[in-house]
Amino acid sequence: MSVMPSSDIILEGVGLKKHFGSGGLLSSPTVVRAVDGVSLGVRRGETFAIVGESGCGKSTLGRLLLRLIEPSDGDVRYEGRSILKLNKSELRRLRRDLQIIFQDPFASLNPRMNVGDIIAEPIWLHDLASGREKRERVADLMRTVGLLPTHADRYPHEFSGGQRQRIGIARALAGDPKLIVGDEPVSALDVSIQAQIINLLEDLKDRFGLTLVIVAHDLAVIRHMSDRVAVMYLGEIVELSETDALFDNPLHPYTQALLAAIPIPSPANRQPKALLQGDVPSPAAPPSGCRFHTRCPHARTLCKEQHPALETAPDGRQVACHFWREIQGAGAGSISAPPPSAALAKRLALYRTWRERQDKPVATSP
Amino acid sequence: MGHEAVRQPITEAHTPQTIATSAQPLLNVQGLSVRFDGAPKGVNVVDDVSFSVSKGKTLCIVGESGCGKSVTSLALMGLLPTPPARIVGGSAMFDGQDLLTLTERERADLRGDRMAMIFQEPMTSLNPAFTIGDQIAEGIVRHRRVSKAEAMERALDMLKKVRIPAPEKRLRAYPHEMSGGMRQRVMIAMALANDPQLLIADEPTTALDVTIQAQILTLIRRLQEETGTAMILITHDLGVVAEVADEVAVMYAGRVVESGPVEAIFEDPQHPYTIGLMGSVPSLGRRQGRLATIRGTVPPAELMPKGCRFTPRCPFADTRCANDPPPLAEIKPGHRARCWYAPLEIHRGAAS
Repeated sequence: MSVMPSSDIILEGVGLKKHFGSGGLLSSPTVVRAVDGVSLGVRRGETFAIVGESGCGKSTLGRLLLRLIEPSDGDVRYEGRSILKLNKSELRRLRRDLQIIFQDPFASLNPRMNVGDIIAEPIWLHDLASGREKRERVADLMRTVGLLPTHADRYPHEFSGGQRQRIGIARALAGDPKLIVGDEPVSALDVSIQAQIINLLEDLKDRFGLTLVIVAHDLAVIRHMSDRVAVMYLGEIVELSETDALFDNPLHPYTQALLAAIPIPSPANRQPKALLQGDVPSPAAPPSGCRFHTRCPHARTLCKEQHPALETAPDGRQVACHFWREIQGAGAGSISAPPPSAALAKRLALYRTWRERQDKPVATSP
Repeated sequence: MGHEAVRQPITEAHTPQTIATSAQPLLNVQGLSVRFDGAPKGVNVVDDVSFSVSKGKTLCIVGESGCGKSVTSLALMGLLPTPPARIVGGSAMFDGQDLLTLTERERADLRGDRMAMIFQEPMTSLNPAFTIGDQIAEGIVRHRRVSKAEAMERALDMLKKVRIPAPEKRLRAYPHEMSGGMRQRVMIAMALANDPQLLIADEPTTALDVTIQAQILTLIRRLQEETGTAMILITHDLGVVAEVADEVAVMYAGRVVESGPVEAIFEDPQHPYTIGLMGSVPSLGRRQGRLATIRGTVPPAELMPKGCRFTPRCPFADTRCANDPPPLAEIKPGHRARCWYAPLEIHRGAAS
């Protein structure tokens, strides 16, 4: 949040589609349209969030942007150049610049390699350093993410979930990347550990001038971390906007429902909620017209028949809804998070003061 | 429990007469301690845990992984594998009986009848080889003298009650044919089939998407108001706690560190762990700078301090904390905190 993101685009997806599966020999083909015509541009230096419920295609989109899977259609451009036509060595060079952090730190680290080797692997692969220099680099990276360099000869199972996520981050940083995609980087972690990792990611972003793409379902985390948000539903972007504008005044009915569903941590402000009915339809057979019309409280006949285009609102936000202008007046949406009570605010301030002091005397790994 | 007046009705279907509570708690747990074989001496995985729940009320137990919240609920249900787990102290009075002294047979009669449980992962707790209807009916036949056909009738009623669309069809469906939210509804139908007095829900919405979570929480609340069931809801999500709890117990490393009415916990938190936890959660409002964090992680059993178990992570801790375990002392009527220095602004204020 410290650097004002400029409008120059570092990574761009154009009309991206990813369709999975087809029929067997005897069955009729079922095609899952995981990502279905998504265009977006990530600006240099910003934190861009992709949010949605399970099955909306957000993880697939994250992987498409890195060409970890091949799109069925569309193009991905990094620094203005398509990355789909790169040959093997060019692609390997690209992998240095674009990195990913996975959700599950338990599954994404090789259990048979020690931590030093896990972090050193990208350095070795890209031929960045060797021998003593390499070891120093690994120690540096471990310190950067808050691990003790003396633990380099330990194996992943000897670490806690939060520490494992730090190992994954150190490995992602090893090749001096320009952009990191975090695929639910904190959702498998406990709340207190989650806060440590969020702060770490923000520090690293500032320190190394990174661009972050965060794929997540936790809207509070997204509000805290990101500059812009894309909301996905059934493989499509339904709204794309600056974070504060989106949370203060959501335009799309799905965004409104998503925000309304978040539990508010204030027992004094319990309110009846307008709930979204039903489940997300199968992406193998998405509804006609607007894909949200089966659950939308504002749906009309037009929504069933005609697919809404992602149009640009006057303030530069994008929304895919036929009736977003009219819905705005309906008063739904915007969440009001009440400020913390006086007692909590006072004690939190006290806590922060003492917490800073706690960190000062010795620079240990948290 | 003088906070009923403050609690806002949340659902549209609200029946005031079921809210009224008897003074006697339905479940009263005192000094519950559970030990795992092989753990270092004096380190109980659940240590001196006390709480109570009244009819029609919801107690939320909050804490992070490894804090002992699930072990506590399994101990109450009599589902702890012994060995390695052993209940080494305490009592749990449920409607006049001590649950911890019952025989296995008496326990089995109680389980699924007068007390029931909902688990986190509905896919692994449902049997993939039987239909939904069979699985709900099984519990009814076990506890009631009814025929299979009558039990199926009741199962159908339960599916309607938890608002599953096309319940007749769903009765013959298998778990894999349903979505996560629908499966959790089935779990709830199963748990409530015999009208239990106490329902224990262990992270019932953690595996679900936020819009589905809101549906399930509303459903649980509505059913609770209809039936007057007491509920213990175990969760790590402070937002969920704020939405559903009447009483809250915050657990850390096997001990209750703070307990009280939900308003007191959120408006006037006392224990440094509770405060750190609240500072760790990003706000839904505009960004307020960096998150406050709690240093480090929960220590392993062999490194657990003698005194307050939060000592190694607590910014306010000193040698007294490391050596003497603080009592769960009453700060205000009904509001207790296990900290030598609560309230903090008096003992640790003036940032000296």
